[in-house]
Amino acid sequence: MSTGRKLAVVGVGYSPVSRKTDLTVHETAYLACKTAIEDSGLKPAEIDGVAQYGFPFEMVTTWEVSETLGIGELQWYTDLSGTGPAGITGVIAAAAAVASGSCDACVVYRTVSRAGGHSGGEGSRTAPKAVGGDMQFSAPYGNFAAPQWFGMYMRRYMHVYGATEEHFGAVAVTQREWAALNERAIFRDPMTMEDYLACRYISEPLRLFDCDLPVTGAGAVIITTAERAKDLRHRPVYIDSWAFGTGPRPDWFQWPDMANMGSHHAAPKMWQRSQFKPEDVDTAQVYDGFTIITLQWLEALGFCKFGEAGPFVAEGNTRLGGKLPTNTNGGMLNIGRVHGISHVIEAVEQLRGNLGPRQVANARVAVAANGGGPTAGCMTFYRE
Amino acid sequence: MSQAPQLPRPLPLPDKFTQFYWDAAKRHKLAILRCQDCGTFIHMPRPLCRGCLSSNLAPHDTNGLGTVYTYTQTHYIYHPYWADKAPYVVALVELEEDPSVRIVSNIVECPIDQVHIGMPVEVVFEELADEVSIPQFRPRQSPS
Ligand SMILES: [Zn+2]
Repeated sequence: MSTGRKLAVVGVGYSPVSRKTDLTVHETAYLACKTAIEDSGLKPAEIDGVAQYGFPFEMVTTWEVSETLGIGELQWYTDLSGTGPAGITGVIAAAAAVASGSCDACVVYRTVSRAGGHSGGEGSRTAPKAVGGDMQFSAPYGNFAAPQWFGMYMRRYMHVYGATEEHFGAVAVTQREWAALNERAIFRDPMTMEDYLACRYISEPLRLFDCDLPVTGAGAVIITTAERAKDLRHRPVYIDSWAFGTGPRPDWFQWPDMANMGSHHAAPKMWQRSQFKPEDVDTAQVYDGFTIITLQWLEALGFCKFGEAGPFVAEGNTRLGGKLPTNTNGGMLNIGRVHGISHVIEAVEQLRGNLGPRQVANARVAVAANGGGPTAGCMTFYRE
Repeated sequence: MSQAPQLPRPLPLPDKFTQFYWDAAKRHKLAILRCQDCGTFIHMPRPLCRGCLSSNLAPHDTNGLGTVYTYTQTHYIYHPYWADKAPYVVALVELEEDPSVRIVSNIVECPIDQVHIGMPVEVVFEELADEVSIPQFRPRQSPS
């Protein structure tokens, strides 16, 4: 990808991530950025770019982070909100900024509060009397929330490709196997297909175990130039390529083919810009806000054919030792909904090669992807 | 939930771009904005045509026929009105006159387990409080 300067990810980190905490979202933003800065070996004053992606009710601004952490004079910063494909939105923005020379070292973070969780978070329990905007065409029908929308995407996907509920269950069961290997995961007890099928529906065919886990916490990533990365703490992980995609109609319900998603538009663009091909990828960290999204990313990225991701996962290809170890930290289904920046962090940590029992042997190329429905963003990383 | 007071179904809050839709519903018509220059149907309502950027748009009374594109049965109670009504169907209906227009609807006058993708449906109107009507779809009864 001809983006300008060669880029490296040099720092990653999380705040504590939990379902119940006394930490405010501000504390989690500061702690995640502090952890990532210390992980990189950069001094706060050497950072001259800050980016974040967040929803208004849980947003911690780039100003607040810069002032609190002594980051100092910013050459470039952006507060992104709303329509982007989750946490990777800010990471792609930061990559473009460092590549172009707008800044030299950029910290990017995503802060989430449990209230923002869409599968039973406090934020979903409101009782409006009247609703405006585009939602005036949905609220009178009891259509309020992402699990309902993805329930409709799932139903269409099942209709077009003959997918079964067990195919979605295979994602949940496999990711729980990975979570058992990750001491940071919140859900680590084994899950069987029987457990999955016995679990309650949120919006049929979408079950509770198809949903990620609402948490409070934050993740952060630091991007700088390959040149600057040479003498920092970790072996650099390089950025190869990225792409966004929305498809032709960025609207949840008017989106033309709901058996597919924005991922099917982002992924081919990324491969056009990449030095790698799908078969070069050693591990994939793909969005799992809902299990349908994981299946769609596996297909969109070319790891299997359209409609075949369910059998691909059910046959064990995404397990430890499988053809394409996927969501190796257990995913947001199990570590909590850090809204996708966790997929970037896991890709980077896999390429560093120090993940203990869940390390993918000799991982050299990794993909991270975020977003579902009309919104999608993906990146490829590698080590030399 | 059982102790919560029974709240009414949330009402639409019309604005300058959507007033026509709810006015049409009051007279039992499903109206969709249509570009008077290139014919494109515009939904959700917008002030410009997606096809040609014209602002020469006018409501078009559709024939009210459609097909279920996809649907879900919602079990989780997002709003107290549905506390004793779940599971309930939320469907996307594509219109016969332009299948690229999809309307969110419950499928009424139909057992929940009879709803299916490809089901022919027709619009009916449900009267809510304060002279508000909302379009709903039911299995098609008129010959098509
Ligand atoms: Zn037009």
